[in-house]
Amino acid sequence: MNFLQLTNAGSSVSLVLFFGTIGMLALTIGLIVFIIFHQRKVIRYQLRLQKMEHDQQKMLLNASIRLQEEERQRIAADLHDDAGPLLATARLYLNENLVNLDKTSQLQSIYNAKSIIDDTIQLIRNISHSLMPPTLKNFGLESAVNDLFQKISGSGSMNASSRFHDYRERLQAENELIIFRVIQELVNNILKHSNASFIHLTQNTSGNRFFIRLHHDGRGITQTDFEKLNKSNVGLGLKNIQSRLKVLHGKIFFEKDMSQTYYKVTIELLKEEEDKLGG
Amino acid sequence: MLRSISIFSGILPIIFFILFFKRNRKEGLWVILFYSFLSFLIDNSYNRLPVVIVFYVFSTFTIIEYTLFTIFLYRTVKEKIIKYILAVGSIIFYAIAIFSLFSEKKETFDSLPASVESILAIIYIICFLYEQIKDPQNAFIYYSKQFWIVLAFFLYFSSTLFLFVYADNLTNEQHNNYWNINFIFNILKNTLFSLSFAMKKKDKTAFSIENPYSDLY
Repeated sequence: MNFLQLTNAGSSVSLVLFFGTIGMLALTIGLIVFIIFHQRKVIRYQLRLQKMEHDQQKMLLNASIRLQEEERQRIAADLHDDAGPLLATARLYLNENLVNLDKTSQLQSIYNAKSIIDDTIQLIRNISHSLMPPTLKNFGLESAVNDLFQKISGSGSMNASSRFHDYRERLQAENELIIFRVIQELVNNILKHSNASFIHLTQNTSGNRFFIRLHHDGRGITQTDFEKLNKSNVGLGLKNIQSRLKVLHGKIFFEKDMSQTYYKVTIELLKEEEDKLGG
Repeated sequence: MLRSISIFSGILPIIFFILFFKRNRKEGLWVILFYSFLSFLIDNSYNRLPVVIVFYVFSTFTIIEYTLFTIFLYRTVKEKIIKYILAVGSIIFYAIAIFSLFSEKKETFDSLPASVESILAIIYIICFLYEQIKDPQNAFIYYSKQFWIVLAFFLYFSSTLFLFVYADNLTNEQHNNYWNINFIFNILKNTLFSLSFAMKKKDKTAFSIENPYSDLY
């Protein structure tokens, strides 16, 4: 009150001093309040992002566990339903009574058992190949992908082709397997859902980046769809792709071609990252 | 009355620092403790000083106050550009303070260095707050002891800026009335220092969620 009486007395100094101080104080308090609220907002946003990321990681982990379980069940079913009965039949041919049979029957039984055992060997080889394709192990990603695409083309349902432009040096074996599994999953999805008439795969590098691109003319998904599916409880295969690529610190982009006719999937990996991961 | 409260509020930060010594010893708050102690001493002995040396005492105190505040801030900020601003600002301040100390015109209060100090301090504090906004680090700003110290200085310097600028032009009556602003914000400053010394240090990051899946990839 005294301050105001002084200003009324006509002192311009008092007026400036009084309002200057009030103004500075208001500015200071305003700035502090703004900073506190702004920081709270930023931190809350970061918290939300972190939570979302953790949720997604949890989902990917669940997907990966479910997929492993499904794969185990499939192998168990193959062994139980196919290899089991085959070996049981072979055992029947080779029972104790075999010694009491005549020579021709003995030879026939042995021949049948041998044939069944051959089938079982082939079956087990198939299971083993599905777990680790021998072409991939022995000749690398390029040959394994070419092999896969030849098989698809050979079936007559779709025209599949692949071309590796810059693959003079093989990647680490375990990383090749991860990439191959991702390609397999993508191709499976295209075969199952897209109704495409062709798939074309190209590989190239740019600096230390390694690219694999898949084109097809069927129904596909875009990055937005991919992200939506990744956050939802469906799309186990896509989550599996995501979790596999995460191991390689790779990226995947789903988009529609510039011409709007084709769908394009791009896998991008850093070669240095690949080297590091491979040890 | 207000003056006495202001003077004796100066002892609060010292008491709180001693009471919560363990919380403050590793926080680099020694400069603030030293500043509080010096401030308390000067305020307490103001009336007993001969008039001829009041100006020199105030001028010296302003230089020490600026130096301690700048040291504190220099240790707190991380960005090189802000440290550079502090260094350049200090050169300007010391030049003005020394010029004022040896100039012929001697008032009772060192208006010019005190005003320059307030302006520079406000600039530094804005830089500090900008750094906090730019890089929120890991915790809410008000969890840090340094924030409360800086806030105390910010409120004190911004509220007394105009008072220090016009200190030489005030009549005795105006001086007596307006100097209450200094007392009020000195009490507030000491209270905020005490709060800062008393608060617990938040070791854990404020918003970091433990990621149980981080080792899986």
